[in-house]
Amino acid sequence: MVLLREGICPGATAQLIQALRDQNVVTVVQLASADIEDLAQKCSVSYKTLVAVRRVLLAQYSPFPSNGADLYEELLASTAILSTGNRSLDAFLDSGLYTGEVTEFVGAPGSGKTQVCLSLAVNIVCELKQRVLYIDSTGGLSASRLLHLIQEQVNNLEGQSEALQRIEVVRVFEVYRLLDVLQDFRTGFTHQVTGARCSVKAVVIDSVSALLSSILGGHQLEGMSLMMQLARELKTIARELNVAVIVTNSVVQDSGGGGGGGVKPALGRSWSYVPNVRVLLQRGTEGAAVQPMKRTATILKSSRQPTRISTEFDITSCGTLTTQTASSQHSTGDLDNAD
Amino acid sequence: MQRDLGSFPFPPGIRVKLISSGFQSAEDLSGVRATELSKELGISKEEALEILQIVRQERPGEESQLSARLPSARKYTALELLEQEHAQGSIITFCSALDEVLGGGVPVGKIVEVCGAPGIGKTQLSIQLVVDAQIPECFGGLGGESVYIDTEGSFIVDRAMDIAAAAVHHCHLIAESNQDEVQREAAQAFSVSGILSRIYYFRCHDYVELLAQAHLLADFLVAHPKVCIVVIDSIAFPFRHNLDDLSLRTRLLNGLAQQLISMANEHNVAVVLTNQMTTRFGQVQSSLVPALGESWGHAATIRLILRWEGKLRFASLYKSPSQKEATVPYQITSLGFRDVQSSELVSPSLNNGDNPRKRPRNDDDGDRE
Repeated sequence: MVLLREGICPGATAQLIQALRDQNVVTVVQLASADIEDLAQKCSVSYKTLVAVRRVLLAQYSPFPSNGADLYEELLASTAILSTGNRSLDAFLDSGLYTGEVTEFVGAPGSGKTQVCLSLAVNIVCELKQRVLYIDSTGGLSASRLLHLIQEQVNNLEGQSEALQRIEVVRVFEVYRLLDVLQDFRTGFTHQVTGARCSVKAVVIDSVSALLSSILGGHQLEGMSLMMQLARELKTIARELNVAVIVTNSVVQDSGGGGGGGVKPALGRSWSYVPNVRVLLQRGTEGAAVQPMKRTATILKSSRQPTRISTEFDITSCGTLTTQTASSQHSTGDLDNAD
Repeated sequence: MQRDLGSFPFPPGIRVKLISSGFQSAEDLSGVRATELSKELGISKEEALEILQIVRQERPGEESQLSARLPSARKYTALELLEQEHAQGSIITFCSALDEVLGGGVPVGKIVEVCGAPGIGKTQLSIQLVVDAQIPECFGGLGGESVYIDTEGSFIVDRAMDIAAAAVHHCHLIAESNQDEVQREAAQAFSVSGILSRIYYFRCHDYVELLAQAHLLADFLVAHPKVCIVVIDSIAFPFRHNLDDLSLRTRLLNGLAQQLISMANEHNVAVVLTNQMTTRFGQVQSSLVPALGESWGHAATIRLILRWEGKLRFASLYKSPSQKEATVPYQITSLGFRDVQSSELVSPSLNNGDNPRKRPRNDDDGDRE
């Protein structure tokens, strides 16, 4: 909502603004919803001027409706589908991650969320040759692991270092910093899109629950509002800048015995409206010994796929990537750099 | 910029005043001066100035109270991060199998959580690590100082002396066998009293003291830049008794975890936490899981679970961003935390002999199981 200021539109003189302010009409909303005749009398301004000013302001500040066909055309032109690098995950997600949407990966600790995010990022920089902004709030990003994943995809050293340079990493540990970073990203994006050959196609935030869970609940009330600020920022970035936003979240115990095996995503019901697609990652059956086991992914929420379908995937030395362009003789090597 | 004013770190009273005066986004404050703002909102001029500084993202050279603490959120490319990671080392545990599983040892800049039942060796591992962090660089260590935060009172100085003596002896032997001048000098300087003088010990009796200590630790680390490891033994104990409000506990723990990881990142220290175990009742059977709840599991970057199997002790890597899951045996001897000798896998606990010929990981080790 915008304050009425002098010069906000032709006809809004300082005198008029002052007169309106005396009558407690301070913002555009208040002017639009006030009774013009009454106001004209009280401010001793002519009815015609007020109506004209109001009309101009409404034209400036109200949203523009569009019809379904235009919307469809626009979506077709602007949406891209990014492959995850793993064929079963792609099929499961209806061919991949859609730009313009927020996708959420939920899971218990050690279920593979960070590995999935790393594999996604590597696939985007190696296969699609686009850039990725990776926002890390848990310290789980290890550049050696990224290098290892990239080495499985790209053979030559130059290609590897180029791919590494396409991943931008920011480490934030509190929510205000995250909001700063996202805002900077948004303003920086418009400057960069004209010059750069490849632009950022995905923003990965690992994890969002680490930042938000310490401010939710209890006597503090700003927690919810910050969560919603963040939600709005993420959705704006996804839609306006045509990027795919990927977030990770943790799980909490679900006493209601839902379909997810006794766990539900953290951050509560308000956050559950934010992502467009929600995927739950789980390890196989909990055995006594810790062995590498198959992991399952289950759809909890999607606008395109039926919910509760699951698929299995493995986390190997190549992360979740199954499509390999480099020579497949690359065994599960160590993380030492070749030079 | 159309950034909403609710997303800036203002106190709630100020926020309410801003909104009720009609300021909704950063744009609305763009043409306003501090005096006008203070008159409009009914606050002091200093507060108005602070608000404007936060919104305009403080000009360089001028730091207000609120902005002085902000950590640098610089953007790195992954290539720069890789170079940084290679430059940082890891802290060895003297158990080469465990070091392999961890990818060289406890990494700097991350949080490692060690969980286990009582008596499995968590405190022994912690003491071993604070000694190992001080091993000079020419022997493959980091040559730094250590911080030990004790909440249970289980740090026994005599035991630390034994472990330190074993480490010193080990380094002397390496220096002698390698005949390296640099190593010999470093080994001379590396003594038990030196090691003990570089362990900073804090004792916290309840969770309030622990939280306060975590707050003060940031300044402490700035004053002592050589510290490279912070051990909190244990983090579960103060939060599990005398704290009835579970949601408060979750919030405090999450806030503490974020503080610790931000500290680990900024000051380049490794953070090691020890945790206890609890029983979770499943539908069919109950299982032993780390304490402090599901949400705490996300706090640690790397999770190690120590357990018994008959008479043997095993360490499993349960969660790691870059290493595969694995389980290795280990033992606790009079010298500290050590490998299990492969010929004695049957009864390792009887082996209290010294194995002075055991080499640390930077030498080629044939000690694979």
